[in-house]
Amino acid sequence: MPLYRYAMDLKLTEEQRLIKDTAAQFVDRELIGREGEYLRQGQPFLPPGDPARRDLDPAIRAELVRGARQIGLWMPELPEQLGGSALGAVARVLIHREFGRSVLPIKPLSIPEFMFESKYGQGLADGTLSLALAFDEAHKTGGLSQLQTLYRQEPDGSILRDTSITVSNAKADLFIFPAREQGTQRLGLFAIERDSPGLSVADEVDLTTDATVARLTLRGCKIPNEQLVGYEYEAGAVIATEQLNMAARCLGIAMRCLASAIEHARNRVTFGRRLAERQAIQWMLADLSIALRTSTWLTLETAWRADQDLPYFDEAGLVKKRAAKMAFQAADTTIQIHGGYGVSKEFPFEAFYRETRLMRLLFGREEELDRAAGERFLASL
Amino acid sequence: MEFRLSLEEENLRKVVEEFVRDELVPLEAEFVHAPDIFEGSRWKSRVKSSQDPAIQRYLAIMLELEKKAEGKGLWHLDVPEEYGGTAIGNVAMIALTEELEKTSVPFEFGNHVSNILYTCKGEQIDKYLWPCIRGEKTSAFGLSEPASGADPSMMQTTAARDGDYFVINGTKMFPTFADVADFVQLFARLPGTTGREGVTCLLVDTGTPGYRVVRSIATIAGTEPCELVFEDCRVHKSQVLGEVGNGWALNQSWLGNRRFQVGIRAHGKSRRVLRVVGELLRREPKDAEKFLGRIGYFLGELEALRLLTYLGAWKADQKLDVRSESANVKLFGTELLHQIIDFALEVAGPAALRKHHVLARVFRHARATRIVEGPSEIQRHIIQRALFRDGAGSLDLQ
Repeated sequence: MPLYRYAMDLKLTEEQRLIKDTAAQFVDRELIGREGEYLRQGQPFLPPGDPARRDLDPAIRAELVRGARQIGLWMPELPEQLGGSALGAVARVLIHREFGRSVLPIKPLSIPEFMFESKYGQGLADGTLSLALAFDEAHKTGGLSQLQTLYRQEPDGSILRDTSITVSNAKADLFIFPAREQGTQRLGLFAIERDSPGLSVADEVDLTTDATVARLTLRGCKIPNEQLVGYEYEAGAVIATEQLNMAARCLGIAMRCLASAIEHARNRVTFGRRLAERQAIQWMLADLSIALRTSTWLTLETAWRADQDLPYFDEAGLVKKRAAKMAFQAADTTIQIHGGYGVSKEFPFEAFYRETRLMRLLFGREEELDRAAGERFLASL
Repeated sequence: MEFRLSLEEENLRKVVEEFVRDELVPLEAEFVHAPDIFEGSRWKSRVKSSQDPAIQRYLAIMLELEKKAEGKGLWHLDVPEEYGGTAIGNVAMIALTEELEKTSVPFEFGNHVSNILYTCKGEQIDKYLWPCIRGEKTSAFGLSEPASGADPSMMQTTAARDGDYFVINGTKMFPTFADVADFVQLFARLPGTTGREGVTCLLVDTGTPGYRVVRSIATIAGTEPCELVFEDCRVHKSQVLGEVGNGWALNQSWLGNRRFQVGIRAHGKSRRVLRVVGELLRREPKDAEKFLGRIGYFLGELEALRLLTYLGAWKADQKLDVRSESANVKLFGTELLHQIIDFALEVAGPAALRKHHVLARVFRHARATRIVEGPSEIQRHIIQRALFRDGAGSLDLQ
């Protein structure tokens, strides 16, 4: 029998509140506090050409990582035996949501639990190893149904068919790579080391966001059995976790945008009246607040489902889709209300706008996720 | 954080689930041709005096269902315990309505008593509240006027003191059921007051000299709201509900109280509409290709609406301020229902506009929901007002 010991309670638990407050304080003090410096244009006139890609000063990044690690925010999934607190999905969502409020390009690592059980666990835990997902083929549909890469199992390892895909963290030491077994179509997740024979990463290029992508190529790659780290369920969980984290980040972005837009509208006067008194402005923000509220609760419910071992993969896709679209709209509205300041790089909103536009395209395009939901519905009738 | 219902709520929900399955679903075919008047609680109106045998047949079915529901303890659910009710909370009520909305048979549990009548005092309790609870009397709600709808603070109807009496003059537009009600909860202002000041609620019995229901007005949604005229209508001061001059808070609490139900009903109706569309598309694979994405989109929005409704109901149960939440639910729910029925008609084509088609029925009903009990624009106004008053932090988690 399901557990019905509870009554509906939509307040955070004491522990969740503590985590949220800890993350919020860290973000306010360490991240938002540094934004001015990060966003400031170094000189009155920039040299001709495209402005350089913005990134955090490596020393500051290291300091922030150290700080976040100390208070348990850096690797929420880290298990207890490796010194972490193995936080659940709701707690992780609360953390990512707070980090989303800052435009500094830094966010907690998301390392699947099963990776800590692999031989790389210790290295990932102490930060000497970095990890990237090579899930390029999941971005279109938000699933791995159209995965093309195949592998062949042999007694001493798996042979991956030659392929070339896009990855977003070209500097990673390890890539998690999904492939289907030839014939059985069984999905396998491989941890591939950067210096594995046959693997190369090249052609790093700037994205419109302040991130880069590169080309990961496999030529005659053979992976030892111990590096087969998961199967279908693990792959689904990786995707759902990314979707939830992204949704949470989008909630933070929208919270920041909404707060700034309200503030600006209260102060800015045009033609003798404050923007806050104009219905055009009021309604944009009213609609935005509804979208933020609904996405917030969908995200929390889905994370809660994950923590309760209820099915949540499909829900995670919906949550990501709505939250990313909502945050993009939030950035768009906030830019509009801020006018020229909105599009200027000295304010965070144009960066949010670029980042959320990308997130709408990651781990499931809107149309694809909608279609899949429609297909499931029709099949259920 | 916990999203499940309590054991008691879950058990009650199961009783309703079974009631819907055993009693209502078997009647679905029968109700396809029922007139619109049987939607919601409207059948309690002039239907009872109709001579039409078809209407009498539906009426008999409804009364029979009433008895069965009462037998299962599904009556007086939201009535406080001191009045013999079950006094279930908002969340539980939403969960039950969610179950009820899974069928197209338009039945709802009673007797819902206008929530402001619980402020009845002294003799008012025996004269109005108890009879309403027992289902012996029904009430109408007289707030809107010819020149004040969305903004009731512009009301012009006056209630002037004259010794122990109030003399009422003015016109009220659109109170539903006023033609069959035993009394009206009338809002009028003390002479010389403006805005929200001086608004007073009076219980005016049908038949009081000077009070006339002059006509009922047919609407797209099948309801027949009335026009009420008061000409030197004298009402004793003992008929004042609550305090003199304190009527504004009453009308606001009456309006707010219903919006979570509006949300879950919009959710249920929309789900049923999408099921109809889904069944159509299963027979038309080529059409399915075109419309699958839209269906998936709407299903996701409906999940959002469902959660938003439960959130608001939960907050109301915690006695928190839910003015913004109820506006969120009313706006999001009724606008979404409108979009979904509009889409469904695009898929189903002109045949779905036949009068008794389930989609046509929802189409007519949905249009009115974006207006009654506060149009969408007022809801946006309420939401932005709270946003600028309390800041974005008011959306943060508690």
